[in-house]
Amino acid sequence: MPPDPILSVRGLTKRFGGLTALHDLSFEVAAGEIFGVIGPNGAGKTTLFSCLVGAQAPTAGEVRFRGERMNGLSTNAVVRRGLARTHQIVRPFREMTVEENVSIGAHFGAGRRRGAEARRRVADVLERTGLARRARSLAGTLSIGDLKRLEIARALAAEPACLCLDEVMGGLNPSEIVSAMSLVRNIRDGGVTVLMIEHHVHAVAGVTDRILVLNFGEKIAEGPPRGVLSDPAVVTAYVGADDEEAAS
Amino acid sequence: MKRLPLAAAAVLAAFTLAAPLFLERGTLNDVWSLAFAVILASAWNILGGFAGQVSLGYSAFLGIGAYTTVLLSLAGVNPFWTLAPGAVVAALFSVLIGLPAFRLRGPYFTIATIGVGEAVRVVASSVSFTGGSSGLRMPAGSFDFTLNYEAMAALAVATVAISAAVTRSAFGHALAAIKQDIDAAEALGVGSTRFKLGAHALSAALVALAGSLYAINFQYIAPSSVFDFRLSLAIVLAPIVGGVGTVAGPVLGAVVFSTLQIKLLSVPALRDSYLFIYGGLLILVMLYEPKGLVGLARRLLARVRRPPVLPPEAARAA
Amino acid sequence: MQDIAGVLVNTVISAALYATMAYGLAVIYGVMRIINLAHAGLMMLGAYATFALFTRFALDPFLSLLVVGPLFYLFGVVLYRLVVRRLPRSGATPSMESLLLLFGVWLVLQNFAYAVWGGDTQSILTAYTMKSVAVFGVRVGVPSLFVFLGSIVSLVFLNVVLKATFLGRAIRAVTQNRDAALLAGVDADRISATAFGLGTAFAGVAGGMLSSLYAFTPDFGRSFLLKAFCIIVLGGMESVTGVAAGAFVLAFLENALGAWTTLPTSLEDAASFTLLFVALVVFPQGLPGLAARLRTALR
Repeated sequence: MPPDPILSVRGLTKRFGGLTALHDLSFEVAAGEIFGVIGPNGAGKTTLFSCLVGAQAPTAGEVRFRGERMNGLSTNAVVRRGLARTHQIVRPFREMTVEENVSIGAHFGAGRRRGAEARRRVADVLERTGLARRARSLAGTLSIGDLKRLEIARALAAEPACLCLDEVMGGLNPSEIVSAMSLVRNIRDGGVTVLMIEHHVHAVAGVTDRILVLNFGEKIAEGPPRGVLSDPAVVTAYVGADDEEAAS
Repeated sequence: MKRLPLAAAAVLAAFTLAAPLFLERGTLNDVWSLAFAVILASAWNILGGFAGQVSLGYSAFLGIGAYTTVLLSLAGVNPFWTLAPGAVVAALFSVLIGLPAFRLRGPYFTIATIGVGEAVRVVASSVSFTGGSSGLRMPAGSFDFTLNYEAMAALAVATVAISAAVTRSAFGHALAAIKQDIDAAEALGVGSTRFKLGAHALSAALVALAGSLYAINFQYIAPSSVFDFRLSLAIVLAPIVGGVGTVAGPVLGAVVFSTLQIKLLSVPALRDSYLFIYGGLLILVMLYEPKGLVGLARRLLARVRRPPVLPPEAARAA
Repeated sequence: MQDIAGVLVNTVISAALYATMAYGLAVIYGVMRIINLAHAGLMMLGAYATFALFTRFALDPFLSLLVVGPLFYLFGVVLYRLVVRRLPRSGATPSMESLLLLFGVWLVLQNFAYAVWGGDTQSILTAYTMKSVAVFGVRVGVPSLFVFLGSIVSLVFLNVVLKATFLGRAIRAVTQNRDAALLAGVDADRISATAFGLGTAFAGVAGGMLSSLYAFTPDFGRSFLLKAFCIIVLGGMESVTGVAAGAFVLAFLENALGAWTTLPTSLEDAASFTLLFVALVVFPQGLPGLAARLRTALR
């Protein structure tokens, strides 16, 4: 267990009617860590993120961020306290430019920047995510790779202390994955703790400090990537669920 | 390029305000109606266009403004001092309605607002302090049309200026984000309920102010005049036909609608078919140009400027 | 002061009519995820169609439903093919465009009625309009009784169509799981046309029955639209038993308010609009959602 957790989850359970999406899940993330969450489809990864940021109310359990209880807060309140997320299926504001999209995060996120300060923040984020050249383009005209970057850029502009990335590498080609991995490291080096859900096991292993493996809503392993990925329970879960994913 | 519309707007505003100097009373009346329509359309557009929350219950705010003015005037208050209280009551009512209603999304919100509008109309025509269905008359006293005209014109100019200011502000950006994807907006820290409530209150207050001036001008209000179906339709249809979510759209729509209204009143054959015209316009706009006249103009302009339309791949490469 | 029996008998009678009225909205919503604002105009037109058949051909208003139903089905299919289909396909949530488009259709229908029948208040007076009979010791108007029977027949008919015909089963499939049904090769266009026709037919029939109970003008139908909407919200939008339950709840509240409070009749409608508002906000998943939540809480 990390000595100084920025995020701590205790006994988190989420049920939809009769279906249990998350069962009694507990873990802690240290400040400055890159923490991976992996698991087969339907393991409850996205539900976990939704519960963390208050988009869904957990059935039981507690989420603490920087010591403060997040349960019951609305999503925007959680984000303004410094815990932000991206969406697996990108959700750009299509009729705004890239710059305007990012400025929403700068204006209303944890930083609440206005005027020149906001413009500086936006320019800085666009530069770091490699979107500066598309700043004036309408978001609706971007390629999928750029849309994934925009999703990250907007969330970064909100100045989170901890950023939850939901499958930002899905649908990218190998060279794009490499640059996404270096972007993730760059984000952490900028002082942001990163929580990432990923399908690409190797990409996760290459960038994370620790990994949590979910299966059917329960934790089956947690620890440094090398050890976790050779854990028999993890191998079984992956091979049992989907051969292709284990190979990827 | 950006200066031109601004200059045109300033000239138009100055002309409207100075109109009593050179226009005769009949024409001035028409401009008064136009200003009234511009206020309703532009104010509605702040919530319905910028934030994308389509409400069909705005006649409630018009009614609140009008009734507050008449009731306070009957209690001995100078009519022009009743404007602010009317706006405040309408804003408070909008928050009261909005707190629960903004939990609903899209069409569900719209249906709820039909319910609210109907409930207010029914209550106003059945309780006794509003004079029931026979309505209320302003206390006898001197009434200055020019003063009322100036107030209405100034309010129209102010409303358009406010909506232009909103589009440039962080508040306006938040509304645009809410309109395009409310969950994504929330995930970036936008407190959507708070902003929707703000937009609702601002537009409700502006509509209530127009309602107060309306009551002072006609010196008599009744459910059949304040909650007139044609009027409540125009509040929604003018911005939609003109182009929701833009500053110019509602103004354009208001011009179209008040011209139509004036023509409708003078030509008997048209008077009986206004619903055909309104309904037909709405159908056409929804099927062919959901961004209204402004959207149509933009499309035409774009075609004039660069005739060959780039295929998407080329556009991306550019 | 009315007794419980009186309230219950009247509740059952109005609930049947309300359910007929609400199924028209529900079937269209279920298949197309469209909120049919023109429903009010269609009910109004149903009332006038019945009125026309009554005055021109002396056709009994309840027999004329046999003409109005099929006629409105065809009208609904035509309306779908000519107008509604041209909308961009809406996804899983209802689009604002469809709502406003059908609002436009409603306005056009109103104007049509003004042009043909004028704006005067009309009503249908038959030999039995003023007659009443005793049901469980409660005096009930004969037209109300006929409306009850007509509603039951319509609802049974709808149930048979949905359960026993191919198109009906497809409608149910799309309603319950839209994506799965469409993936399974259900012809969305044909199903939508059928659903829109059925919804329109139900609006017409409901309007025809309303014309025996109420006076009407081209503006008629708005409060009934809101009631129908209130019912499908309470009923959970797409469940068949839910709609029946929603209709019963609304009818009971109205009859109870009328019988046991001194609320003026003019404010009764305001009460049901308030209920609509509360229902929308408090039970977004309607009564079935409430029931599910209670089950979870008790477990």
